[in-house]
Amino acid sequence: MKANGIGGAAPAAWLAIAGLILVVAIPFIAVVLQGIFPNLGQGSFAGPFSSLFSTLADSALIGMAGNTLLLGFCVVLASAVVAVPLGVFRALYRIPYAPFWDVVLLVPFMIPPYIATLGWIMTLQPRGYLQQLVGFNLAPFLFSLFGMTLVMAFNTFPVVYFAVSRTVEAVGSRYADVGRVFGATPARAFWRITLPLSAPGLAASLMLVFAAAIEEYGTPAALGRRAGFQVLVTGIDLRITDWPIDLPGAAILSLLLVGMSLVTFLLQRWILARRSYQTVGGKPSAKDKRPLGALKVPVMIAFSVVAFLATGVPLLAILATALSRTISGGLALGNLSLNNFIAVFSNSAGAVGALVNSFSLGVATALITGLIGVTAAYTVVKTRMRGRMTIDIMTILPNALPGIVVAVGLILAWNMPWLPATPYNTAFILLLAYCCILLPQPVRYTTAAFQQIGDNLEAAARVFGASSITAFRRILLPLVFPSLASAMLLVFALASRELVASVVVAPVGMQTIATFIWRQFEQGSIGLGMAMAFIAIVITTLLPLLLLTLLRRSGLVAE
Amino acid sequence: MFKSLKSITFGLVAAALMAGVAHADVTVYTAGPQSLIDKLSAGFTKQTGIKVNVFQATTGKVMARIEAEAANPVVDVLVSASWDTATDFAKRGWLVKYSSPNAAKVPDFLKTEGAVAQGISALGIAWNTKSGTPKPTEWANLTSKEYKDLVNIPDPAQSGSSFELTAALAGQDSFKLFNDLKANGAIIAGANADALNPVLQGAKAAVFGAVDYITLAAKAKGESIDVIFPASGTVIAPRPAMILNWSKNQDDAKKFIDYMLSDEGQKAVADEMLMPARTDIPANRPLISDLKLLKYDTATVYGKRKETLAEITKIYGGK
Repeated sequence: MKANGIGGAAPAAWLAIAGLILVVAIPFIAVVLQGIFPNLGQGSFAGPFSSLFSTLADSALIGMAGNTLLLGFCVVLASAVVAVPLGVFRALYRIPYAPFWDVVLLVPFMIPPYIATLGWIMTLQPRGYLQQLVGFNLAPFLFSLFGMTLVMAFNTFPVVYFAVSRTVEAVGSRYADVGRVFGATPARAFWRITLPLSAPGLAASLMLVFAAAIEEYGTPAALGRRAGFQVLVTGIDLRITDWPIDLPGAAILSLLLVGMSLVTFLLQRWILARRSYQTVGGKPSAKDKRPLGALKVPVMIAFSVVAFLATGVPLLAILATALSRTISGGLALGNLSLNNFIAVFSNSAGAVGALVNSFSLGVATALITGLIGVTAAYTVVKTRMRGRMTIDIMTILPNALPGIVVAVGLILAWNMPWLPATPYNTAFILLLAYCCILLPQPVRYTTAAFQQIGDNLEAAARVFGASSITAFRRILLPLVFPSLASAMLLVFALASRELVASVVVAPVGMQTIATFIWRQFEQGSIGLGMAMAFIAIVITTLLPLLLLTLLRRSGLVAE
Repeated sequence: MFKSLKSITFGLVAAALMAGVAHADVTVYTAGPQSLIDKLSAGFTKQTGIKVNVFQATTGKVMARIEAEAANPVVDVLVSASWDTATDFAKRGWLVKYSSPNAAKVPDFLKTEGAVAQGISALGIAWNTKSGTPKPTEWANLTSKEYKDLVNIPDPAQSGSSFELTAALAGQDSFKLFNDLKANGAIIAGANADALNPVLQGAKAAVFGAVDYITLAAKAKGESIDVIFPASGTVIAPRPAMILNWSKNQDDAKKFIDYMLSDEGQKAVADEMLMPARTDIPANRPLISDLKLLKYDTATVYGKRKETLAEITKIYGGK
């Protein structure tokens, strides 16, 4: 293992490899083995590959795979259309109340997709909130590919918005100004200089959106089924939960999904590998942004419309449902009641325990994935270590692995009778599941950040006698910290609301926020579930903001 | 530094492994509702001092977990929402033969050597009383023009009882009813709860074959909804409770079954708006004797499960 001479590759690489094996490789190998050996659950290796043919010969498969890709591309496109212009304006211009917009556009990410979808259904369906307020409904739009794309894009576009605004900001206007000096028009300087230089962040975020879209279960299940739109994940879920259970079939279909995500990843790698994107070179860069001028009104309108649709509508629908005494009572003053919120706070059905469980798991997941993520990204980008490509691919594997399949993989791996001790049936198994599912987030964000940092910075530190660890800690870490911190906040939010894996793998007697909400819905207590969802959204939004403010005060993160 | 990092990493891994499994006295896997199993386990612990650890999900997810755990199963008692589970597990030889003394008042068709019903739900028409539609009394009513585009059908692929109703009714008229419903704009709308929610808000007027206890519980909470059991017949879904033969705790598991079938346990079942399995326990809802049941042979129906589901998919679309 020969490092590149400037980096302290070994410790970081070891940490990354140990973490990746535990968090990713073990459940993934279990899934692969399950696909090959149908009776793995009984501990038998009989009849290898016997499920492969029957699964792949299913005539519905091509349709489902096609729908999955179609949905993925539509969501990526819609997210980009919504987020890229807003992100660019946020990065290059002085937007009035910019921090406010950042918070409002962060909220959609905190709303669990299945809750947002239910909110949209309750708003747009016949006699829904929209019809109760203004007299018409938009159900035909909602239950279609178009509706699904919009609902999912409004949920995922913050990933792109924050990635674009941050990377474009880091690229700054300095390079574009050089172009202007040499006679380029502002538009040409943007298209030929600023946007291409921001490609790592943009490409990484679009890839995350694609993977999230093809892996998402709640929205296609709720909206797509009615439009006759089956995707792979709904097919996988049916195989797992429909007796007799077809675990090998589900494993094979999941590997297909992982394959799709891997192809987009390699595509992104290939695009980025063709040139250098190093823009953080240690030279001072002017951070002053331009005034909006005549664009002020249209840009403000764009921000308001997106914020209303992505944050306002779902939040209002959730709140309206949570505050209703009965659903059939509708939006009427006499139907207003705080009963559901009182029920949550009086710990009915273990609500408070569920909140505590989820938030503790969220914090732990953020810390672990942050640590593995930053070391793995560093190893991949900044060292010449052999096998770093393998590390990179391992970090991408869970990206498209559906939550329910990760859960099954973890059970298969950790419930072997010969294991002397196991995290299975303890809270640690949930931690492992969340780390596996969410690891790609910090890795992708920090990889993009490392790619923009010039090698000479670390080299300079080493020349002046810093050890590799010191150079990493004092030079590189602070430079990637904004990206790392925001990725860890996303992980916290996503982990504290994860549903599909939690339902299957949760240790006996333990509830999380998502399983609590899901159980309430299953029993028809929609109001109670929505009250819990609202409280969880508020906390997952405020907690990270508080943390960021504290970090800024202490000077760890720049404004 | 390199060494210490490595040892920290391995230390963490080891610590995670050492956390181990805290084996509870009785581990119960159950299909909903959560509040019922909460009451049962609290009451059982109070009476016997034996701790109960619970995993609750839908029948499908519970089965997925048992299947994945098959190499090293931990569940002692399973309560499913579908009698089919008991039949299938008995065939695999996974069940412990047990006849609880408290099961004497459970009718014979609700118990076998290895399984006994905890309670029973029935399917009916869930109807929004404020929907402005006439109150339906028969399944076929929902094909009339008053209910155009206003009917939800729970997905028979996702719910055992819903499948039995579909198969039983489709067997009577070779899918004519389902073709008529489709022609009237009825849709298949996910699992039970997904089908009911739009009816509560009024987007739809009725659920064709809703699980009764969820709907009755919603009615008790003040929702403007009612359940109608058609006179032509419906299906019931007994919820089998079973002790698994790999259980290392079979004596305690038997005690749990006894408690579930005791006066107190059956009252908890009745409080959830389910029909108690014992005929001598009163309930504030229609009981099996009040319902007309459709006649069909379970084994034949399940034997043709794939074909029936394929036909439904053909009628209701799906690209």
